[in-house]
Amino acid sequence: MTKMVSPDAISTILANPSPDSSSDLPEIIVQVVDLKPTGNRYMFSANDGKLKIKGILQSSLSSEVISGSIQNLGLIRVIDYTLNDIPTKNEKYLIVTKCEAVSPALKAEYKVEVKNEETDIGLKRKHEEIGIVLKPKQEIQTKSAAQIVHEQSGNMAPSARMAMTRRIQPLVSLNPYQGIWTIKVRVTSKGNMRTYKNARGEGCVFNVELTDEDGTQIQATMFNEAARKFFDKFELGKVYYISKGTLRVANKQFKTVQNDYEMTLNEISQIEEAINEAAFIPETKFSFVPIDELGPYVNGRELVDVIGVVQSVSPTMSIRRKSNNETVPKRDVTIADETKKTVVVSLWNDLATNVGQELLDMADKSPVVAIKSLKVGDFQGVSLSALSKSNIVVNPDLPEAKKLRSWYDSEGKEASLASIGSGMSPSTKSGARSMYSDRVTLLHIISNPSLGEEKPVFFSIKAYISFIKPDQTMWYRACKTCNKKVTDAFGSGYWCEGCQKNDAESSLRYIMVLKVSDASGEAWLSTFNDQAEIILGCSADELDRLKSEEGETAYQMKLKEATWVPHLFRVSVAPQEYNNEKRQRITARAVAPVDYAAESKYLLEEMSKMNISM
Amino acid sequence: MLLLFVVHCMDTSNPAVFVNAEFLKEHVGRRVRTVVQVIQSDGDKVIGKSTDEKELVVKGYPPNPLSTFVEVIGIADTTQSIQAETWTNFGDTLDVNSYDKVCRLANGDHKHLFI
Repeated sequence: MTKMVSPDAISTILANPSPDSSSDLPEIIVQVVDLKPTGNRYMFSANDGKLKIKGILQSSLSSEVISGSIQNLGLIRVIDYTLNDIPTKNEKYLIVTKCEAVSPALKAEYKVEVKNEETDIGLKRKHEEIGIVLKPKQEIQTKSAAQIVHEQSGNMAPSARMAMTRRIQPLVSLNPYQGIWTIKVRVTSKGNMRTYKNARGEGCVFNVELTDEDGTQIQATMFNEAARKFFDKFELGKVYYISKGTLRVANKQFKTVQNDYEMTLNEISQIEEAINEAAFIPETKFSFVPIDELGPYVNGRELVDVIGVVQSVSPTMSIRRKSNNETVPKRDVTIADETKKTVVVSLWNDLATNVGQELLDMADKSPVVAIKSLKVGDFQGVSLSALSKSNIVVNPDLPEAKKLRSWYDSEGKEASLASIGSGMSPSTKSGARSMYSDRVTLLHIISNPSLGEEKPVFFSIKAYISFIKPDQTMWYRACKTCNKKVTDAFGSGYWCEGCQKNDAESSLRYIMVLKVSDASGEAWLSTFNDQAEIILGCSADELDRLKSEEGETAYQMKLKEATWVPHLFRVSVAPQEYNNEKRQRITARAVAPVDYAAESKYLLEEMSKMNISM
Repeated sequence: MLLLFVVHCMDTSNPAVFVNAEFLKEHVGRRVRTVVQVIQSDGDKVIGKSTDEKELVVKGYPPNPLSTFVEVIGIADTTQSIQAETWTNFGDTLDVNSYDKVCRLANGDHKHLFI
């Protein structure tokens, strides 16, 4: 009977580094290749067609080589051996102590015939990685290990194999310029399938919110084919390995998670459920907003996280839902933080009955509570409301919690705390308020296109005028009495629709748009007559005269003089429809010169706040 | 704004440390800058109140006229006096509190931003 190379002989040897003579090992027949004398012994490589390891024949076997029994490219049956580590390299070394020749030299180096081209490549690479210690860890660099893993785990579940052959990256490292990645995430929110119709036809879409182990979140969207394919696959709360999605900069209008990017998955994307991942709990990552900084978020789409000391917990109330007459349990929890302000958080349903009760029971101990994903409303100025995705942690093990605790124990307990809402009256128009309330950066405004969706929101900003377009419609002709736009009257003069009379005279009033910049970004600001007059330092009529009498250069000079001057603005922000497009409109309601003493105070205060949170 | 002013006028070849009376003690022998409220002005020196309410002596020849607040840049020759090289009138009103805070920031965690 002709003996053949034992399949996976090398693997068997690797798996049994020190067999004793009584151990039940299968027959090990390998091919001897690269047979070379070294001193009075012979070294070789043992080949099983798939793997090779370096080895040496014990000196007692040298005679067999000399006699020609053991030949290069011949087969030997390894009867007794030891497998040692090569100390400097990550390789194993086979010391054959007893063997017998079973076949003379074969025509060539034995190779196992495999269908896959890939394995041939794998084999070639094997030459360099003989006897690698196989570590089934997830971080294996895989081109060559793919082969090893395939042999070792051929029958294992696909997801486990995927875990071994792919490197998992944290969500925070994903970007559109990286082609190949795999992430391991839990579905923390799943939207409904929506259908849409646009110029290109009809379609369906849904999205999911994914969270990884570090707590980073990203939104993933699927359209049409992909949506249908994956809608049932994605289950809320389950963990998946995902790869082959595309990333792009997030559309701020629709995002609810904190990530600059969003993901789209299509038909070629790979989604594999990770079984046995009950232990994979994404860490809840918080980015807290101090209570006195909640103002700018009122009625916005962006959800906030807060942390505070519980001041009081209300009993459960039953609110009747108007839509279906159902009653919903609700509980209000008042919290306070180092800004010496309090705010009311409304908890609903399970949160009201479970966590709410827990907080009521321990309210006298003034626990610290951290809450993620709250909606900011304007009830009583500023109010917070929990959603189904809101997450509450009582007395969390966070540095911010420790700071809060020590603040509360030392001064907060006795301090007089004011409700954040009491300082705000949303119906107030500009001017009446200080230029320092609701101070925001331009970036805060422009990055949130849904600001002021229900009713306009007001902010204070400090910005430099960076550009005034000379060729814009700077002004309109207005009625001297009521300031409404007038039209040319029949004959001479002007007709005012509002006053229902003709007037020989009219005045020009500014409707100027200018570009403003601050350290965070830039934006276009619409201004009306009063503000523009302050900015330019002359009335519209005077500027018109300057333009016609002294020419274009003098006119542009006047605009230039107003450029790069800093101002304090009180602005209102609301989205506006313009040619079927939704655009954000920022309007200046008041303008004031920068008060440097007040500005210094404000900046120093902001700096000291940063120090507290550091 | 105060800090803006500093950035424009800072001669980095010969930097002067922002001090009040407290920090002056740490920089004896070095070039310093500070603002004082003029209490008394003799021909060759000015007695001033520092932004942290201590008395300082500024030696040299102050400008005429001299406003209520004056900034001096010079060498700190003792823990309580400065040999002035440059005098700048800072006007009759100043938020001393903000200036004092800047001194503390400039000598504290943010020292590296200034010198």
